[in-house]
Amino acid sequence: MKSLVLTIKQEPGQRLDLAPLVPHLLDGKLPKEIAEIEVQTTREKVTAGDIFKIRSGGVDSIRFEGGSTRLDNIGKDMKSGEIVVEGDCGKSLGRNMSGGNLVAMGDCGPCAGSAMSGGRLEIAGDAGGFLGAPLEGEMEGMTGGVLIVRGNAGERAGDRLRRGTLVIEGSARDYPGSRMIAGTLIVLGECGSLPGYLMQRGTIVLANPPELGPAFVDCGAHDLAFASVFSGLLRPESRAAARLLSRPLFRFAGDMAALGKGEIFFPV
Amino acid sequence: MSEARIDGKPASLAAAAERAAEILSAARMPVIAGLGTDVAGARASILLAEKLRGAYDHMHSARIFADLDVMRQAGLMFTTPNETRLRADVLLFIGKDLTKIWPAMIARLSPAEIPAFDLAREPRKLLWVVPGRGGAKLEGLAIQTLDSSNLHMTLAALRARAAGRPVSCAKRVLRKLDEFVEVLNNARFGVAVWGGDSLDSLSIEMLHGLIRDLNKTTRFSGLPLGSDSNAAGVVQTSGWMTGFPVRTSFGRGFPEHDTWRFDATRMIESGEADAALWITAYGPEAPPWKKNIPLVALASPQTAFVREPQVRVEVGCPGIDHDGAEFSRETASIVGRLASHRSPAPSVAAIIGEIAKRIGEDASC
Repeated sequence: MKSLVLTIKQEPGQRLDLAPLVPHLLDGKLPKEIAEIEVQTTREKVTAGDIFKIRSGGVDSIRFEGGSTRLDNIGKDMKSGEIVVEGDCGKSLGRNMSGGNLVAMGDCGPCAGSAMSGGRLEIAGDAGGFLGAPLEGEMEGMTGGVLIVRGNAGERAGDRLRRGTLVIEGSARDYPGSRMIAGTLIVLGECGSLPGYLMQRGTIVLANPPELGPAFVDCGAHDLAFASVFSGLLRPESRAAARLLSRPLFRFAGDMAALGKGEIFFPV
Repeated sequence: MSEARIDGKPASLAAAAERAAEILSAARMPVIAGLGTDVAGARASILLAEKLRGAYDHMHSARIFADLDVMRQAGLMFTTPNETRLRADVLLFIGKDLTKIWPAMIARLSPAEIPAFDLAREPRKLLWVVPGRGGAKLEGLAIQTLDSSNLHMTLAALRARAAGRPVSCAKRVLRKLDEFVEVLNNARFGVAVWGGDSLDSLSIEMLHGLIRDLNKTTRFSGLPLGSDSNAAGVVQTSGWMTGFPVRTSFGRGFPEHDTWRFDATRMIESGEADAALWITAYGPEAPPWKKNIPLVALASPQTAFVREPQVRVEVGCPGIDHDGAEFSRETASIVGRLASHRSPAPSVAAIIGEIAKRIGEDASC
């Protein structure tokens, strides 16, 4: 079945909230009804039809042709189906998603994958800060699913990560894996300062570790059986991450300031 | 008499309010920034933001959210300066220039005095974690200092040692950390005092973790020094009016809070906000953005603007030119202050009232 295609007409003058444009909310809607959905965030009304040229198709697969850094909440609360964005996205891409496949071909703003609990989110470009992180006043970040960034990620990627797997193929800025509760964070490029700050449990794997903080203690080099099993599972998503996990790894335990049951691995 | 100017030329208050109302109501997304004002000024500003369906932010938001983000995601224990002076047998200072942030800190906390309500009647123990050695001097007081070039690392190491867990650092540093930890663990009622830009939300969350861990065996609390320009008072006012702190927008007709989207400077630089109202009644702070957008300023007389605002009204300082309610560090609560040098300079609330009167109920759309 053909995808529903939304072609952006021009750069919007205000930030837009595209949370209503997900498969389960569009189910059963005619193209005319989709065009009437309001997406503005200021007093000036903007509908989906004002901003996109809509080519009808099955709502289970939605394609955005072109993007903008002002398009927020794409794929928010997504439960199923597929969304592909052939361009940039704004804040909170895939926020709270629990299923389906969401792919952004360009860059995205902060808080992508915020509090996602399932499904697959892939960002081909760069991601902003606070990847997978909780929003204001929330206690938990990402709690499940797979999040892959092919480019670089901003500061505090994987903040309060609780479950799921987060792979950054490019570099990560300062404090990746801050306040991690559990889950797995892998960074293949350069890594900013103090990874795993305040982490309680969970696993961080770094291809190029910076100097670790004083609250991480050396546990020696390991050839872990689990790492090689996990490596096999990761291969379809990221060959480089799979390769990193198949090597012998140093293990550092921390953050001793918090619970101290987390670990940072890097190649011997 | 107070000064009002339109495009740099003297004008009456009424004309200035009329022009301000025109500029702000013509904007798609006006933003009220600065917000250095008393409780009445903050109330009027938030009501105006609602009427305009705009957003509002405070000039010291970065500092505000360093503390507030920890409070709302991890919790924070606070005490008051008076409680600290009367009970604290251990004071743990963190950060540099604390006495610059709060010049009355020493007078208020009296670190040299024996705490009146402490049964042991012993002199207070004073600890200071600070980058470099110069920052931690108090005249005539013996202070143990921990020289910290990286507060994140030092606080992490301190917390790990206080919990009896291992850390990786040099023996000399470890000895010093353990000396500190011994004082902290033996405190009967300790208080950590922090402030300034050298602490971000992560280091404050680490510090809070240390306070929480210490409370398993003794009593320990915190005293954040916060920011100037009534930041805490404006945040509380915003809280009781909208349920959210600053960086809140009424764009969709209901209050929506987002620390990234409604950062006033980001909104203006990105072109999302198309008019601004800058409020600074306590001091001559100029707007931090570079972009040229229509600007209405309610500012204290010495404020030097890079570009002359379209409308500029000189306002009085709460507690000096007119009575005002504001957050007081001394009591850690909102207090009323009578004017010390009463003058005819108008209050922010009065000018915003004049502007709001000139914006019709149906201004939107």
